Amino acid sequence: MQPNMNFLVVDDFSTMRRIIKNLLHDLGYPNVTEADDGNTALPLLKAGNFDFLITDWNMPGMPGLELLKQVRADARLAKMPVLMLTAEAKREQIVEAAQAGVSGYVIKPFTAVTLKEKIDKILAARAAA
Amino acid sequence: MPAAMPTPDAHSQLTLEVRRVASELQSALDHFRVDSKLIDLAQRQVPDARHRLAHVIRLTDDAAHRTIDLVEQCGPLADRTVQEAGELLAQRATGPGTALAPQVSAFLVRTGKNMQSVRANLAEVLLAQGYQDLTGQIIRGVMTLVDELEHALGELLRIAGAEPEPRPGSATADGWRGHGPMIPGVDHGPAVSDQQDVDALLSNLGM
Repeated sequence: MQPNMNFLVVDDFSTMRRIIKNLLHDLGYPNVTEADDGNTALPLLKAGNFDFLITDWNMPGMPGLELLKQVRADARLAKMPVLMLTAEAKREQIVEAAQAGVSGYVIKPFTAVTLKEKIDKILAARAAA
Repeated sequence: MPAAMPTPDAHSQLTLEVRRVASELQSALDHFRVDSKLIDLAQRQVPDARHRLAHVIRLTDDAAHRTIDLVEQCGPLADRTVQEAGELLAQRATGPGTALAPQVSAFLVRTGKNMQSVRANLAEVLLAQGYQDLTGQIIRGVMTLVDELEHALGELLRIAGAEPEPRPGSATADGWRGHGPMIPGVDHGPAVSDQQDVDALLSNLGM
């Protein structure tokens, strides 16, 4: 675990952003920034020094899948871990996200344990790469 | 090959049929024009439904944020209690002349454990607020449908040449059933805004 990691949490519902922020804090990650859709997240990602992106899918403006594609298409951001945290649960959507290069996918409603497991797994995979 | 020409008899029957359909269509349009229920639906009930749904999202959003506020306040209190109970127990173990009564020691051990349960439960309360996101997404979907319905009804009324009707006042026929909570943007006539208003109103009425 690297407590100095910078997280960006993207969700159009402010309640969900606060929930994720609190959970990350409890998991030992205090550095969390929020954005309410892909359009606000992308400039933050390009300008900031983020290590991990957690994004919803269904958002007004730029949805999470498009944000993921933009991140993967940007040479400087391409390798950033992206965890999709969403209520979108159709098989083809999960496949589509995987094909777009998502690092992990958590379905809402979720548990703190699931969130921790996925983050740990993504970070372990990156450390091993 | 040229199309077969209808016989005079068939032509006459066709004309009669077209007249019948035209007459039915005219009758349907006439009926449509005077259907005030449809006008009320398009001009009042459907827009009200959208306001109601938006208000549900706002209410659940406020309630969820209030709950998260309290969780964020209680979490550090529980953490500090666990920490301080642990420190007192450690002092008992190491410091000279700081022996604690057995009951106090047991209480401190129990306090530490209980507060850890409280902390875990607070995390569950926090997660449960995710309902606001899930229900909000569903409600937004329904609001989109309501928008489309409102647009379609408006077009129908426009085609039928229906005249807008004034919105009814507070004394609606179905008022006896009650209107539910007040919803900003949905006019049910004059209303109170909080308990003080209620008390003042009752006081003015001599109660």
